[in-house]
Amino acid sequence: MSAYLTKRMLYMLIILFAASLLIFCLYALTPGDFITGNIKLTAERKAELREIYGLNKPVLERYWTWMSHAFHGDFGYSLAQQKPVLQLFGDYIWNSFLLAAVSTFLTWLIAVIIGVISAYKQYSWFDTLVMIAIFAAMSLPSFFIGLFLIKILAVDLKWLPPGGMTTTGSTVAGFAYFKEVVQHMTLPVIVMTLLGLGSLTRYFRSNMIDVLKQDYIRTARAKGLRERKVLFSHALRNALLPAITLVGFELPALFGGSIIIEQIFNWPGIGQLYMKSFGLRDYPLLMGFTMFLAILTVIGTLLSDILYRVADPRVRL
Amino acid sequence: MRKSTFVLSSLFLAASLLLSACSNNSSPEAASTATPASSAPGGASTNSAASSAPEVVPAGALSEPFTATDLTKLPAAAQKRTDTIIVGLTDPSGAFTPYFQESGYDGNVSSLLYASLVTVDDKGVPTPELAESWEVSDDQLTYTFYLRKDLKFSDGSPLTAEDVAFTWTLQYDKAYDGGSSLPSLKVKGGEAYKAGTAKTVEGIRIIDPQTLSVTLEQPNATALVTLGSNVLSKAYYGKDYKFGQLEYIKKLHEKPLGDGPYTLEKFIPGQEVRLVANPNYFKGKPKTEHFIYKTTSGDAWQFLETGEVDYASFPATEENITKLKQLGYVNILPYTPSTYGYMQVNLKHEQLKDKRVRQAIAYGLDRQSIYVDAAEGAGAVANIPASPISWSYTEEGINPYKYDPEQAKKLLDEAGWTVGAGGIREKDGKPLSIHYLASKSKSSDIFIAVAKENFAALGIDFQPEIFADFNSLVSKTESGDYDLVSFSTSMLTDPADGFMQFFDGEITDYDNPKFTELYNKALATTDIEQRKAVYKELYQLFNDELPVIFTNYKKTVYAYNGRIENLSVSPFIGLAGSLPNWTLK
Repeated sequence: MSAYLTKRMLYMLIILFAASLLIFCLYALTPGDFITGNIKLTAERKAELREIYGLNKPVLERYWTWMSHAFHGDFGYSLAQQKPVLQLFGDYIWNSFLLAAVSTFLTWLIAVIIGVISAYKQYSWFDTLVMIAIFAAMSLPSFFIGLFLIKILAVDLKWLPPGGMTTTGSTVAGFAYFKEVVQHMTLPVIVMTLLGLGSLTRYFRSNMIDVLKQDYIRTARAKGLRERKVLFSHALRNALLPAITLVGFELPALFGGSIIIEQIFNWPGIGQLYMKSFGLRDYPLLMGFTMFLAILTVIGTLLSDILYRVADPRVRL
Repeated sequence: MRKSTFVLSSLFLAASLLLSACSNNSSPEAASTATPASSAPGGASTNSAASSAPEVVPAGALSEPFTATDLTKLPAAAQKRTDTIIVGLTDPSGAFTPYFQESGYDGNVSSLLYASLVTVDDKGVPTPELAESWEVSDDQLTYTFYLRKDLKFSDGSPLTAEDVAFTWTLQYDKAYDGGSSLPSLKVKGGEAYKAGTAKTVEGIRIIDPQTLSVTLEQPNATALVTLGSNVLSKAYYGKDYKFGQLEYIKKLHEKPLGDGPYTLEKFIPGQEVRLVANPNYFKGKPKTEHFIYKTTSGDAWQFLETGEVDYASFPATEENITKLKQLGYVNILPYTPSTYGYMQVNLKHEQLKDKRVRQAIAYGLDRQSIYVDAAEGAGAVANIPASPISWSYTEEGINPYKYDPEQAKKLLDEAGWTVGAGGIREKDGKPLSIHYLASKSKSSDIFIAVAKENFAALGIDFQPEIFADFNSLVSKTESGDYDLVSFSTSMLTDPADGFMQFFDGEITDYDNPKFTELYNKALATTDIEQRKAVYKELYQLFNDELPVIFTNYKKTVYAYNGRIENLSVSPFIGLAGSLPNWTLK
């Protein structure tokens, strides 16, 4: 196992290095830079600024500078926000994480429950209803669901706040603050859960259906085990195995932020910031954040491989 | 599955963000457009009649301010606030030091934190603020500013000529990377300072703690407003200053020390900027204790409807105005920003070098349908490089280029473009084709739909190309591969700003000695009446020559909580001017 890990780590470093070079070149090749968009500047001033920011240097030299700084933990300054990139991450990532973590947890929980039940009662009225609901949820665009819920629950009924993370100007602390955040995140969490639920439920349902047809389930039933035990300790455990690979892939999504949801609900997350930075060609921030996601993806895959091994001893690493 | 949603959503969002960034059909764009704040002097207006409404320009269905009809409908959230006013602002990033911020939204914040030496009134005419008065030497080169007595920064420290001199000098530092136009003013000795061969900027002279003067190398009528911008405290921002090293200032961005009506209480990234009234403000502490800029990147309707914000701006469409009137609890102000829209013309291309072809395009495009009717009245047709709210605006001797395809055809015939095979005009065997660039937005879609028909009727081969991203659009334009590109200016304070891009900006191919002469003549005097006369000539020249094809003015409305009194919005400095006088009834 440890030899395997060492090898994996080495691969990871190579992949990350290649990814960083690729990403850097892609960003450098995108037409326009941070200064292009400011059409008020004179040509001389533009040249001066490119000199100050080092944008006039060859791509590989810029990459080298960026890389050597990054190795020392310095991801540079965001040009648009005039702040260190790492500080910006600190400001926004945890808000995104909060939203994503809660909704991912709910999505998985609900998807497993519904998936198992509808697989067990395949073609029952419950299963049919669930399938219809799932297709409805999957086919609706997130902004539509979001705006619809805002209109009904926030503007008309005034049950929930229409957006933001706290009430504007609020100075509450402690439990009251917690309550306020929970209130504000309810709507976005509902939408995100609804959106993730569809595909995941289908996934669990079909896994479960497959497993229920296996011989060992028939054997277990024939041995006279109670149905509950058959279902939860034999069937579900095996049906969940493939899902473990999914867990690792969720990692970057947890920190990546959801652009649309954050936009609609005015949530102060990193997704929005990232999108804006792209429009402005704020390279230090874009590079930093993309690399961060790349690192998370690589760690996520490693994590799911290890988890898979832990869950299923037959798997050799 | 997550991934594909992510990519799709990114694409969708890229498009919609651009839509809101570069078009007039965007959702409410908060207090002002994204213009670098340094170009517009911040701070409060000296116009004491703050309750008077700004210049009334008919906007869609609304030509006059509308007063709330039923304040009892005001949402409870808004009713509860007694000493706080909340305004939506798209995206303040936290860089609140004037001259160093990259986004106009930060400029909206700093315009409340810092006062300026000179401000402009509702017509864009300079008026005193921190400077009690000023003198301009006969050769128009030396400006002497006389500061008011007992000026203080918000921490109680005195504001003197030293601070002003420091502020100017800082912008000549070689490491200065901000967007201020002060370095382009050519202050005497500025270049030497930048090069490191002089210890101070020669042209800046402190006469006594309340008086200082600055000498330019060449006259420039915009100098007064540019020089008369915000003042940075030397004791605070200059403490660690060493020539060529400005990194330290970034650490102070979130801890601003100003002299404006408000001071920063707290900045919560992505959420809000909390401001509190400054008791040391030279005009007296503002009437409302707390002011909050709430970050609203999405739709502001929901926040106005639930009472979470008190003020928002919307395109002046009939639909928006009707909907706002129905709310009952908002006052509505019609407003035309100090910008203009235009199509940049590639003057390097043979066919567009001919004035008659440019005029034919102006005549042959149904601009009324595109910019006024399709926008439901939230716009007007432009014919000169100035907004109707500027003191220099005139329609005298201006050709309105009313939609007239016959006239357009006649001009094209005159220019030698005759209808050839397939109905496309030709000259010397070359077809007349127009490669048009624009960024993705609802208004571009409308433009293309109408222009296709219009151009087909004229016998022009029209080839539109749409960019999802403003930066890519500009890059493509810079590469020269285009005939026409749609743009809009940022806020223009001085009439000269409307011409700047032709003079030393991105439009380099318009070379007309008459223009250069008039442009310099208008800048060589500070007398408003004289300048007005020169600008009239310039507008007539541009209206005839069409070095760019003028398209439209935007029209917006401001809707605000009916409890707020004394609110007015200046087209040049936004709401900063009247804000200290706002009260909640």
